[in-house]
Amino acid sequence: MDYKLLMNTAVLAGVTMLKSGAETYRVEETIVRILKTANVETVETVVLTTGIFVTLDNPDMENISVIKRVESRGTNLNRIGCVNSISRRYCAGEMTLEEAYTELKAIGGRQYRRVIYNLATIGVCAGFAPLFGGSFPEIGGAALAGVTLALVTTIGKYLRIQGFLLNVFSAFGAALTAIFLKSIFPGLHMDTVIISSIMPIVPGVAITYAIRDSLQGDYLAGAARSMEAFMTAVAIALGVGMGMAVTGILQPGGGLF
Amino acid sequence: MNIINLVLGTVGSFIAIACFAVLLECPKKHLPYAGIIGAVGGGVYLLCMECEMGAVIASFLSALVIAFLSHTFARVLYAPVTIFLIPGILPTVPGAGMYRIVYYIMAGKNGTSAYYLVQTLEIAGMIALAIFLVGTFFKVLKQINWKVSNK
Repeated sequence: MDYKLLMNTAVLAGVTMLKSGAETYRVEETIVRILKTANVETVETVVLTTGIFVTLDNPDMENISVIKRVESRGTNLNRIGCVNSISRRYCAGEMTLEEAYTELKAIGGRQYRRVIYNLATIGVCAGFAPLFGGSFPEIGGAALAGVTLALVTTIGKYLRIQGFLLNVFSAFGAALTAIFLKSIFPGLHMDTVIISSIMPIVPGVAITYAIRDSLQGDYLAGAARSMEAFMTAVAIALGVGMGMAVTGILQPGGGLF
Repeated sequence: MNIINLVLGTVGSFIAIACFAVLLECPKKHLPYAGIIGAVGGGVYLLCMECEMGAVIASFLSALVIAFLSHTFARVLYAPVTIFLIPGILPTVPGAGMYRIVYYIMAGKNGTSAYYLVQTLEIAGMIALAIFLVGTFFKVLKQINWKVSNK
């Protein structure tokens, strides 16, 4: 058994999952499952949201420990699915260790082009409008605000603006569009349009992960995700509030309208 | 009018969740399934709101249905539950609630902010309970299957 390659495979699987936004307990599970195929005496792993620690030991070998720092994290469900299926096939004995390692190395990044990504952003905005009590005018308004949001996000990503600020600017753009539309069509429910148009950046995913991590007993990851959700909410509210302050709808410390 | 709202909301949830699944890089072949889960979840939520059950109970029931469907699809299609659960649960998850909490603090309406804070916590708790219940149910089911097939 090539312990070194086994270790590399397990760590690569873990890093790929962690970078794609998998829950830490699920990463630990996968690493342990892959390492256990070697029938060694000791397999230990600790996974945090920012790094992986793994150690492997057996009487016939020098123990191997690996520390791996993971810097960037996003959400990519496709990669989680790929790693899952590779580790499942490897553990069932359907593929060799070398094959598993090569396939893990070959997992790609984005599946969708920028255009589809932006169209989807607009679709999210328009689709959520009826759920927040909007009708056809609000759907149209949310879609238009979504166009602004997609535009700001694309430009911001191109200029590599940091995440918190990017959320502020995106929400600012969406709110400005909604206020502008309201001034043209007075019958429009502006609140519905704003809430629907910020749905793509609202921290729904972070909240779901926070809940799942905490339920699993992983309070460290749960707290980190809760903090992430809160900071995103602060950024969005800041952006919308700025939009309203600029147009004079929101008086500081006073009422809304 | 209410029926129109319900249909519009359900169709909207389908589109919104299928699109959100794209943002989350959900595999192409699973996009429609994620959309279906979102549509059912959104439909149940709106139906409960229509029956005046309140946002908290409506969230609980819709999260229950969404989690159940996600686990079922995951088993039928051999994919991790996460692929369906994360996009599917979004119509229910109080992302907009989080935004409202901070927004009303900035607007100087602390009372409204506190109201949304409590509601968001309640809904988050209910979703947790729903996911937990369904997860345990499927774990027990697996255990029973395993015991039966090993006899």
